Amino acid sequence: MIAFLWNLLLALAWVALTGDFSGSNFVVGYVIGYLVLYMAAWQMRLGNSYTRKVPRIIGFVLFFIYDLVKANLRVAYDVVTPTHQMRPGVVAIPLTVDRDAEITVLANLISVTPGTLSLDVSSDRKVLYIHAMYIDSEQELEDSIKALERRVMDILR
Amino acid sequence: MNEIVTSILLIGGALLMLVAAIGAVRMPDLPTRMHATTKAGALGGGLMVLAVATYFLEGSVTARALAVVVFIILTAPVAAHIIGRAGYFVGVPLWEGTIRDDLKDRYDPDSHILHSRDRTPPNS
Amino acid sequence: MDIVIRITFVILSVALILAFIRLARGPSLPDRVIALELLASLTVGFIAVHTIFTGDTNFLDVAVVLALTAFLAAIGFARYLERGGRRDE
Repeated sequence: MIAFLWNLLLALAWVALTGDFSGSNFVVGYVIGYLVLYMAAWQMRLGNSYTRKVPRIIGFVLFFIYDLVKANLRVAYDVVTPTHQMRPGVVAIPLTVDRDAEITVLANLISVTPGTLSLDVSSDRKVLYIHAMYIDSEQELEDSIKALERRVMDILR
Repeated sequence: MNEIVTSILLIGGALLMLVAAIGAVRMPDLPTRMHATTKAGALGGGLMVLAVATYFLEGSVTARALAVVVFIILTAPVAAHIIGRAGYFVGVPLWEGTIRDDLKDRYDPDSHILHSRDRTPPNS
Repeated sequence: MDIVIRITFVILSVALILAFIRLARGPSLPDRVIALELLASLTVGFIAVHTIFTGDTNFLDVAVVLALTAFLAAIGFARYLERGGRRDE
């Protein structure tokens, strides 16, 4: 978190020094500030988690957008074709994450993806109930949720 | 170039919303309707607001457009989740093609406890 | 650009009519709530197209407010449906 503030500060310094107060210049400053922090952490052999997390977060966002587009197309296809080939159902997914923030993020990500909708968490926080539109194989569905969960843990821990 | 991107975003967003509306009419029960409407509708709205940002390319417009997109991304899943949950617990019937329902009989409306596994029947 | 805007208006109008059919048909209250939610998204889309059509960017502020109030309405409806039952864990 502090490293993130440092990065913002470096970006602001870049914007002030170049005298160009625009959004794109701020992004340029942010990238340069990030590179500086990365080199500093590498040079001083600091176990700086921030510089390692940023590529992971970018990778996660790209993976998630890909997932979102794919799932949207699948639901759209089912909506416009005359027959329903969906097999919906409510499935209980066992949770590995146990913190409130992680469960919240995971449940919201599941809800954003078309085809899956998180309904509720059990009171003892061991199971997440989701409504899924395509239960061709339960194992496949559970694996995809678990993959998402691992990525959430990668970023938040 | 700019106009092409704007056009693609506009038409794409509008088509997504059309798919959402068709889904709202055609899908057989509440959760499947929500799969079709809430996300495609929100994503379509987000794309169209982004089209405004790419059309004007001004700082203040882009900032407001991004604010709308962030609001939509933050609120859409929460709204979908809370309506879906309310609909389920109120007892809206599921489609007859639903192949399984793990959540059935695990919610206790008196104590508001949601169990994580099947409850043992009281007289066994 | 003009033709694109017109096509978008037509598509959105068709979507609006379909969403209204679901709003009128129901059958249950949550169904109507999600139809209303969709109507709010469609209105945000209409505002976006109208902003480009007229070139008046002040309409975007309306979109900001609408996106937020639609969310509040959904939360309110859900609380009403569950009769405000508390689930404090």
